Amino acid sequence: MDHYKLPISDINKLFKDKKLKPSELYTEVFERTASTESIIHGHLSLFQEENIKKATDADERFLKGDELGVLDGIPVAIKDNINITGYATTCSSQMLSNYISPYDATVISKLKEEGVIFTGKTNLDEFAMGSSTENSAFGPTKNPWDPSRVPGGSSGGSAAVVSAGSAIASLGSDTGGSIRQPASFCGVVGFKPTYGTVSRYGLVAFASSLDQIGPITNNVSDAKILYNSIRGHDRFDATSLKDVNVKQPKLEKAKIGIIKELMEDGISEDAKSEVHKVSKLLESQGHEIIEVSLPLTKMSISIYYLIAPAECSANLSRFDGVRYGNRVNGNTSYEMMEATRAEGFGPEVKKRILLGTYALSAGYYDAFYGQALKARSMMKKEFTETFEQVDYLISPTTPSDPFKFGEKSDNQLEMYMSDLCTIPANLVGMPAISIPTGLSSSGLPLSVQIMSPSNTDNTLLDFAQNLESEVSFDALPQIQGDGE
Amino acid sequence: MTEKINIKNVAKLAALKLTSEEEQKLEKDLSMIIDHFAALSEMELPDEKITIHPLGMSLNLAEDEAFKFFTHDEALSNAPEAIDGQFVVPPALD
Amino acid sequence: MNIVPTIGMETHVELKTNSKMFCRCNVAETEKPNENLCPTCIGLPGSLPVPNKKAIEYITLLALSTNCAITNDGMFHRKNYFYPDLPKNYQISQFDLPVGTDGSLEIVVDGEFGTVEIERVHMEEDTGKSTHIGSGRIDSATSTHLDFNRAGIPLVEVVTKPLIKSSKEAVAYIEELRQLVIDLNISEGKLEKGNLRFDANISVAYENADELGTKVEIKNMNSLKSLEKAIEYEISRQTKMLKNEEIIIQETRHWDEKKEVTSSMRSKEGSADYRYFSDPDIPNMILDEDFVADIKKDMPLLPSDKRNTFIESGLSIEDANSLGKSATWIGELYNSVSNITKDSKVSFNWITGELQGQLRKLEKATPPNWLNPENLSEIISLVKSDKISFTSGKEILSKLIDEKINPEEYAVANKLIQENDTEEISKMVKEVLDENEEVIERISNGEQKLIGFLVGQVIKLSNGKVNPSVAKELLLKEIEQ
Repeated sequence: MDHYKLPISDINKLFKDKKLKPSELYTEVFERTASTESIIHGHLSLFQEENIKKATDADERFLKGDELGVLDGIPVAIKDNINITGYATTCSSQMLSNYISPYDATVISKLKEEGVIFTGKTNLDEFAMGSSTENSAFGPTKNPWDPSRVPGGSSGGSAAVVSAGSAIASLGSDTGGSIRQPASFCGVVGFKPTYGTVSRYGLVAFASSLDQIGPITNNVSDAKILYNSIRGHDRFDATSLKDVNVKQPKLEKAKIGIIKELMEDGISEDAKSEVHKVSKLLESQGHEIIEVSLPLTKMSISIYYLIAPAECSANLSRFDGVRYGNRVNGNTSYEMMEATRAEGFGPEVKKRILLGTYALSAGYYDAFYGQALKARSMMKKEFTETFEQVDYLISPTTPSDPFKFGEKSDNQLEMYMSDLCTIPANLVGMPAISIPTGLSSSGLPLSVQIMSPSNTDNTLLDFAQNLESEVSFDALPQIQGDGE
Repeated sequence: MTEKINIKNVAKLAALKLTSEEEQKLEKDLSMIIDHFAALSEMELPDEKITIHPLGMSLNLAEDEAFKFFTHDEALSNAPEAIDGQFVVPPALD
Repeated sequence: MNIVPTIGMETHVELKTNSKMFCRCNVAETEKPNENLCPTCIGLPGSLPVPNKKAIEYITLLALSTNCAITNDGMFHRKNYFYPDLPKNYQISQFDLPVGTDGSLEIVVDGEFGTVEIERVHMEEDTGKSTHIGSGRIDSATSTHLDFNRAGIPLVEVVTKPLIKSSKEAVAYIEELRQLVIDLNISEGKLEKGNLRFDANISVAYENADELGTKVEIKNMNSLKSLEKAIEYEISRQTKMLKNEEIIIQETRHWDEKKEVTSSMRSKEGSADYRYFSDPDIPNMILDEDFVADIKKDMPLLPSDKRNTFIESGLSIEDANSLGKSATWIGELYNSVSNITKDSKVSFNWITGELQGQLRKLEKATPPNWLNPENLSEIISLVKSDKISFTSGKEILSKLIDEKINPEEYAVANKLIQENDTEEISKMVKEVLDENEEVIERISNGEQKLIGFLVGQVIKLSNGKVNPSVAKELLLKEIEQ
């Protein structure tokens, strides 16, 4: 029997009951990888050699009854912008193709303590900038549901490998939707936690006030397990929250708001009907559905595409070939930096750096970046006020089902619009989860997104889990060359 | 609305050497994006205190205790060029 | 029409915390380069800054001690520019919400009080050290070597308002600021170690002008002497240009220690665009009233406090100022000694003149631990009361530095006690005069300096014990008769 689509808690029970060994699970997952990687190209690197020993070590622990926890022996894939000591962290960029990290991200240290087995590092849009993984310097990842379509981005690799069964779960990062959108495109669950609940130390920064690491999993219960093992205050991250006690939304007879502005132009009929379908299910569960209006969400793209590039233009300044990276020489150090960055960065990264530099430069700050910050504060107010009337908010995760390769690469604004529904959660800091709920008329996965107030993550996960069981989405991708 | 973006200046500030094709394409692309921002730029927004962070979080300060992180070799492990324990670059002019 | 200079000083103070500003790497000096590093201070991908609590306490202390208004809700900003010694190619600094604003510092120039107004006090991180390899000059180097041990060390930048009027004032200001950071115990304050680094902004204008002239920044002054010389040179250079109606360019100039001139550095096109924006990795720096009150509570004695105490004890402003800027033990010794001797000026002279002088000759930094206010005061009193001569006092002091002695006992044992009794001295005077009639003749004829000879004879007769001034007085009296 195949185990790679089972929930983690079920797998853990099989390990404890000695009906399955971690090394057996690992072999299964690795065989999935072997048979699908050539099509999917989800992993950039695989840690096969040392994992064999890690898996047998886990076998020992379970045999002795010494197991570390529910995640012990579970193969998890890691997006290649999260640092693991001794392994490459390339961020899918030529700039870092030779960079070997000398330190662990905090989330990695935590997972190491749990006995997690890292399958390897997964593909992404270069430096997490993109919505399709087409911007990777090492070739795109293909959507397991249809290899002519994108898996989404920027955590395309992480979503694809979970969908394909090459990992039980994965970690991605989300700045404007980079966990949720690829999760939606690949028909799996993606969760972006409240900003500050998961440490960013060791995550290569794209936009510091927006980035969060989060889980991509086969089901909500796995997302909950993974989230709780990586969250917590970290003294190495000044933006890391200490535990905050806030009023939690209701799990029963909850009020759920459909965001009007995210059900209008630009959203496909398929996506809209998923939300309506789910709303009916929620009503049947005893919840109340109302329509809410959040006018500033219409400005989301503008606000985001000013704040994110501004922050990233400074965050990526450190890539200059001085202390690490693929250096291209020059007569002076400035010339060396210029040439190194010209060769190391792809076009989308260059574009965003220049956009951000421009937005911050003298004379433009007030009209652009300053204005975006003000709008962000106002947007936050809008959401806070709305959450006084509702417990949760619901919207499509993406405007449409997965698009084909090359379909949006020539139209930058259309590409940026892919993030319309997901950006607000990053701007406001609130938690958001995407769960697959059905298939489009083309047979491709569709998802809905649920959001709740900041610091209500576990309640949101519980709510989503209840919805998930009602929805009962059990479709799986048929990958070419699959033995089934 | 937009005045022409001086892409050369911006590239200099960002230490990015661009080819002339790149300059042309980027100027066009960026102008398009910036035009899209027009609606936002023209909005009347109150001049209240800005919070950089979505959650207006308070500052975590660290205790002043030193500890050793990298060995000398670890710190230089990815150095493109190093001599006598120092990172080496082409001459840096002021 | 007079041309007057205007000077503003920008000073960087290296704080003596244990760890760096945004990471916990050790700040101690090491021989090996790149020894105290971590992902944060070499700008590795994924690293984050976490501010040092002690550094923030220290800067608040400095801001309070200079009467600054404290910004309760401030933040850190990123100052963006590319340079290889800057690991992230941005420096975490503060832009428009610095910790302290609008303060002042009392200084002493030429024995008079003055005030320097302070514009702002802000927190930032230091860069790494670059060494240019090649002929030694920047523009003919073949490569640059980088050591990041210094990268991330906490720096406080203190900027004065452009209201300083002379090189002397600037020097006095730096001396005061240095003493302040030493007394606050927040910095070693050693110029030669780079604990305090300063640049000067200088402009000149006609006395009645509405605006200040074009300001020129001068860098690379490594001592107070070079600060003074550089300012003087630059004022004179700009004054000449103004008189000749030449345009002074706004630029940064480099002080050349050898040639003793300021020279143009490679000019940048226009002024730099640092694209300051608040650092999203660091939430707002809230320094609330309780925090500030706690810092105020533990404020040590400031240089101005000590100076006032010295002045109240009877010293001049000039002496009080220089005493406050000497090593702590000197001021403490002065306080105790002047309390005992009740003579501030004499105590001051003995300690800063004689004692320090003798220690310097012996290449000692401090007196031995048996030299205390009591035995030093004893020597001073012996001389003051004329019981011993000044020369004898110096001798006893020298002995005391060498070994533990009791000054009075030593004086007696070594027959240093002077004869002051007028009657006794008169007898000896008469005896000497009787034996030197021809000398008296010659003195009467105008050879005044032979009086010294006679005094010498009296001293000889008394085996060195006679008080020379008393002897001289009596001799003259007798001769006149």
